[in-house]
Amino acid sequence: MDLVKMAKGEEEQQGKWGMIIDQDLCTGCQACVTACAMENNISYVGEDDAAYGRSMHWIRIERFWEGSYPDVKATSFQPVGCQQCGKAPCEPVCPVMATQHSEAEQINLQVYNRCIGTRYCANNCPYQARTFNWRDWERPSPLDNQLNPDVTVRRRGVMEKCTFCIQRIQRVEDVAKSEGREIFDGEVTPACAQACPADAIVFGRLDDPESRVSKLTKSSRNTIMLEDLGTLPRVSFLVGGANHD
Amino acid sequence: MDELKTLLAVFADIDPAAQAIDKLRELGVKDEQMNVISGIPVTEAMLGRPRQWSNVPRLALGGTAAGFLLGLFLATTPLLYPYYVGGQSLVPLPPSIVVIFEMTMLGMLIATFLGVFLDSTFPSYTPKEYVPEISDGKIAVLFACPVGAEAKFSQAMSAIGAESVKPAEAVHL
Amino acid sequence: MTEMTSSLPHAGQHQEDLRVEHLMLDPKPRGEMNAMVMDSMLTTSWKFWVISIFLSLVTAICLFGAWGYLIANGMGVAGINRPAYWGIFIVNTVFWIGISHAGTFVSALLRVFKAEFRRPFTRAAELMTTFGLVQAGLSIFFHVGRVWLAYWMFPFPNQRGLWPSFHSPLEWDFLAINTYLLASTMYLFLPLIPDVAMARDRSTGWRKPLYRILALGFRGTEGEWTHLRTAMNIFAFAILPVMFSVHTIVSWDFAAAMRPGWSSTIFGPYFVVGALHSGVAAVAMVLVVIRATMKNMKYFLRPEHFDAIGKLMLIISMAWAYFYFNDYIVQWYGGDKWTKILMDFQEGGPMNSIWFTMLICNIVIPWMFLWNKKVRRTPWAMFVIGLFINIGMWCERFVIIPMSLTINRMPFTWRMYKPGIEVPLGIGTLAFFILLYMIASRLIPLVPVWEVQEGQMAHSLRKFGKETVVTVSDLE
Repeated sequence: MDLVKMAKGEEEQQGKWGMIIDQDLCTGCQACVTACAMENNISYVGEDDAAYGRSMHWIRIERFWEGSYPDVKATSFQPVGCQQCGKAPCEPVCPVMATQHSEAEQINLQVYNRCIGTRYCANNCPYQARTFNWRDWERPSPLDNQLNPDVTVRRRGVMEKCTFCIQRIQRVEDVAKSEGREIFDGEVTPACAQACPADAIVFGRLDDPESRVSKLTKSSRNTIMLEDLGTLPRVSFLVGGANHD
Repeated sequence: MDELKTLLAVFADIDPAAQAIDKLRELGVKDEQMNVISGIPVTEAMLGRPRQWSNVPRLALGGTAAGFLLGLFLATTPLLYPYYVGGQSLVPLPPSIVVIFEMTMLGMLIATFLGVFLDSTFPSYTPKEYVPEISDGKIAVLFACPVGAEAKFSQAMSAIGAESVKPAEAVHL
Repeated sequence: MTEMTSSLPHAGQHQEDLRVEHLMLDPKPRGEMNAMVMDSMLTTSWKFWVISIFLSLVTAICLFGAWGYLIANGMGVAGINRPAYWGIFIVNTVFWIGISHAGTFVSALLRVFKAEFRRPFTRAAELMTTFGLVQAGLSIFFHVGRVWLAYWMFPFPNQRGLWPSFHSPLEWDFLAINTYLLASTMYLFLPLIPDVAMARDRSTGWRKPLYRILALGFRGTEGEWTHLRTAMNIFAFAILPVMFSVHTIVSWDFAAAMRPGWSSTIFGPYFVVGALHSGVAAVAMVLVVIRATMKNMKYFLRPEHFDAIGKLMLIISMAWAYFYFNDYIVQWYGGDKWTKILMDFQEGGPMNSIWFTMLICNIVIPWMFLWNKKVRRTPWAMFVIGLFINIGMWCERFVIIPMSLTINRMPFTWRMYKPGIEVPLGIGTLAFFILLYMIASRLIPLVPVWEVQEGQMAHSLRKFGKETVVTVSDLE
């Protein structure tokens, strides 16, 4: 593997992966949050730490409302994870290069082994998508049987975040390469997209105009979060449809 | 040429010391055969001595250049380790300026500091000619006088106001 | 030194007043001053030992003990969370770097401007720089999640092809703070050499070999003085840009980030002036303590010095207020929604008492008292004012760091910051600073006697018309 070539993106372009989340379909069931935690060996922090803002979930469902029952006005549920920015503000601030841009997959990489835990990237993320391992949380038996062997476990002091289930992307790429074909649209599904009962999360290649995700980005409901910051995220949202006031 | 002996005359103030230097020149001692050790920095001009040159500024300049090159090197290392972050280019100009500036200053300051050591041959723990009164603010004039003429020189120095005139002994400081 | 006496009958009284007032006009024989400085260094009372032992215990428990606990259990024992990923550790880091700027200010800037009143306390201030940077370094290490790998920030060639990132303000911090630490330690040591030589000549027992080694064989030859003074001149001028750059780079840790309230273009100079504010106030505090607790210091540190420092504190406080208001008014005017919410949180939120404390301590107290000459010349008053200013500047950094981090562009994540183990660790750094200072005050001569004598030689009285005036000669 030629590091220089890879860094310059001269390895075969694996494709520009992207995601679109339909907030009008999202029921706020949190299946995506659970599936992501299962798939990526995310720690369970316990009630106290979670209440203090230390839950480790890579995707969170944001809800806003005003009023009290029965006169509640609520926004649609907003699942927020790492937006995999094209010009990620988290990348240049890491002093040890633990977070970089993948020129091949066009997403933002987090290198757990390299992270020394300065937490500058988390401060600089405008979407607050990153989580930090504040402690070594326990995984008492038989909970450790549930660990996914494709993903490492992170120890205390290390930053982590949504990776677009890069382990699933790479497995599909390997299979496709060994079979000498291109990846079909929909062959790669991250855990959150797989679990969503409303099919609100669509994942695919944004540089393929025929892919489902590309077509959905052309919808009039398509918006980018905090667009004026110029982070060029690979995640966009469909909002403001007929199901909402 | 007679055999020479080093004498050490201690003065309490600048004026007598300056007069002593003139007197020594009169008596035939050359400037290179004299040395002045003082507890406060008296410039050579105050005593009528030839100016002492120092390599420290030149060394500082060299250190500045070395630091600049180090900073330049560090700032361009991403060309060897090409990882892209944040949509920035591999060697962006503003961060490079910061790195180059810091390393230049570091080079200058370390070279200046080590220049003092080099020029003064610090640290040096061999026995040297010295008397502890010097750190009490006295000015000591070390000079070479022909063996046998110590009394004449001694008297001359005392007449000008030397507190003591004795043979210079190399002592452990 | 030559003194021109006037023929006027009351001239003697006037000169006596000048002598009592000004250290530079009150010369003593160098031998006597040397003896005074040695005496103050060698004298320790039982109070000194009690306090030292107490501080050692506090350092052992609150600093090293708590740090071990932090490393073993992870950052969870501190109060940081999402969204306040940086908390009191970074506040303390910036605070200690600010304190450390005082030393360079006194010893370099005042030397460059030939402010003669600096002479007796340059070393006391430089010691604050070195020890302050030690505490700043410790505070950064507390804050790093995997501190045992912190050396990865150092660019060393390795077989894994790993290298730090010079895009990162934290890496610039690493370079700048290390440069500053090395530079200020060297700048502390250079003028110390002649004084250690003096101590060597007057010491017996275990101190003698220590000073002999430190004095490097210095005698005071023409060559040695020339090299030393040339180097000190270069240092005085060169360390000033380093000092400015260090705190500017520290401010870029915040200004380069994409947070409301942080990406402010004025942070560079604002932080430098803030550092001087807390630093000079800390110098005043330290000098009051030195003068009150060490023998013979009342000769060297006089009300005139506190007067001059007090004027500096007032001017710097005004400069700080100018920069703060600059930052404030453009944010207030600008209309950015998130900045507006942040400002409302700072002024009206649950932690707004800290914001008020900052303004009162940094602006109101100095402006109310420091214009008064009598207050400036009263050491204990300067200690109190200095203490308030340091409290105010600590609050300023608290407002900027954890309080500003609480408000970001994702309201779902807003959460209050509650400090945990940061408190004992912060107390530990303070205890360690004082302990190091106390040890240093009895190990090296605190007053640069040769510089004081040099200044006294340069000062004389002469008649200007009918007035007897102080004249300062430039002996370099």
